Amino acid sequence: MSLEERMAELRAREERAYAMGGEEKLSRRRAAGILNARERIDHFIDPDSFIESGLLGVSGMVEADRERTPGDGKLVGFAKVDGRPVAVASNDFTVKGASSSLTNMKKIGHVKRVATERGLPLIFFGESSGARMPDNMGSRGMGTLLGNDPTQYVRRRETPWASAVLGQCYGSSAWYTCLSDFTVMRKGAVLAVASAGLASAAIGQKVEAEDLGGWKLHSEVTGLIDHVAETDEEALDLIRKFLSYLPSHHKETPPRAPVPTGSDEGAARIPEILPESRRRVYDVRKIIKAMVDKDSFFELKPRFGRTAVTGLARLNGGVVGIVANNPMSKAGAMDVPGCEKITRFLVMCDSFNIPIVMLVDTPGFVIGVEGERMKAPGKIMNFMTALQMCTVPKLSVIMRKSYGQAYLNMGGGRNSDEVIAWPTAEVSFMDPAYSVQIVTWGRDVPEQEQEQLRQQMELDNSVWGLAEMYAVQSVIPPEQTRQYLINMLDVHTMRTTGGIGKHQLSSWPTTF
Amino acid sequence: MAKEELLSDVTGTVWKIEMAVGDRVEDGDVVMILESMKMEIPVEATGAGVIAELPVAAGESVEEGDVLCVIES
Repeated sequence: MSLEERMAELRAREERAYAMGGEEKLSRRRAAGILNARERIDHFIDPDSFIESGLLGVSGMVEADRERTPGDGKLVGFAKVDGRPVAVASNDFTVKGASSSLTNMKKIGHVKRVATERGLPLIFFGESSGARMPDNMGSRGMGTLLGNDPTQYVRRRETPWASAVLGQCYGSSAWYTCLSDFTVMRKGAVLAVASAGLASAAIGQKVEAEDLGGWKLHSEVTGLIDHVAETDEEALDLIRKFLSYLPSHHKETPPRAPVPTGSDEGAARIPEILPESRRRVYDVRKIIKAMVDKDSFFELKPRFGRTAVTGLARLNGGVVGIVANNPMSKAGAMDVPGCEKITRFLVMCDSFNIPIVMLVDTPGFVIGVEGERMKAPGKIMNFMTALQMCTVPKLSVIMRKSYGQAYLNMGGGRNSDEVIAWPTAEVSFMDPAYSVQIVTWGRDVPEQEQEQLRQQMELDNSVWGLAEMYAVQSVIPPEQTRQYLINMLDVHTMRTTGGIGKHQLSSWPTTF
Repeated sequence: MAKEELLSDVTGTVWKIEMAVGDRVEDGDVVMILESMKMEIPVEATGAGVIAELPVAAGESVEEGDVLCVIES
């Protein structure tokens, strides 16, 4: 065969691969406004930066499928995002529902290994039906295809992972999403262990796919999804945004960005946002936005565990992870979802050398039956363990209330590298309204005496006791907080290791 | 006509109801204020519409997840 003939063969095979699952399936997706696997890659990456790996791969299990499985249903390769190299895996649902089989699992395994060893973020575009039939069927199928990679589902957080749930995600698409640091779901997509059809067949449960694993469930109840998008494009853009805050790997510091003009102006607004009355609530996100570099706050899991706010932001161009109580939700009393959200966020920040800033205004942890049934004491200790094992710089700002165990969980004492407080801070074991009830329990104490007790307790809870005992290092006006944090982040830069933490949480489970 | 239910975020007491059935609301308008953990917690409309139902009264106890208001848009 001449070189020319071989070149013609190459072109023919490439054309078959680029045709994916065929025009009919592709046009149905176009009509529905859903991108195909290649369009997703093209939209996501810097123009013309894709280096595909395994374009000519096809089914390695079923002879009759060789012609019907261009790319074997999963497209993988390397590309650039904002000029930085990344690894990408994009499920092609038009080819056998992007089901997993021999060749495509080898492709995924390869880019995962390269990403991990060479320090590249790894991005999954999820849309797959699970294990391919009949390839995985029977003991021979299982024995051949599954369990060959003892690191397949291990997450050590060597490099950032992000996943978009862009269609039905069962099997590996669901698993890789759950293992990722950042997840986004397009409305209409589904993430579940198995499909609604299988739930109906196996256990007789009639359930709509979206109720089984739609965006509302995962963004509000399970917290497995960070962000919800209306379109594929919006979902992919959110991943690009997330990556802009992350280093390429765990031995690198996060990328710095120029400080937008006007970033110092917001801090003056903080006293207006913070209500005068200790009984009034406010949205802490307004304080965060006023404090950080202009337009730099990128909230994670905004619909889940809303008693706490977590998100990435920049201070003087450097990336920080913000953990804040939000009085707007349950008065800022942290509940189980709030604890889980914060713990997961601390793990991510620590794994990727992102300093943590905690903004404290909480009456404590939510008490009552519901929380106890959800293992609240255990969740509070998970959170505490994660906090104490973090080796990135931690700075706490006590804005208003900090009561009980929550004082420690939000970095009180030596649980942060520096604790600062506003003059409005109040700290004690319990809110005075309740402490009065406890100390007068079983005694007939006149109303007036109770009120005097309450007033004395309020005075005793003021910030000055903390300052006298050096439990806070400084008491500063709210409007000076931005500059103070910038100065302290500079002091606490991890100079001896070039800004790299010890990553003691890197193998922490991604869901717990 | 779409109906949107505002659910209680907390276990607590209805402190003040700021609106009445038939009132027009915009996204973010405070419909009522709950009291929980000695804090005043505003319940805001999540979209524009007209208040169709207010199944709770001032002074009443509410559980997390209880319907506080139904808005028709």
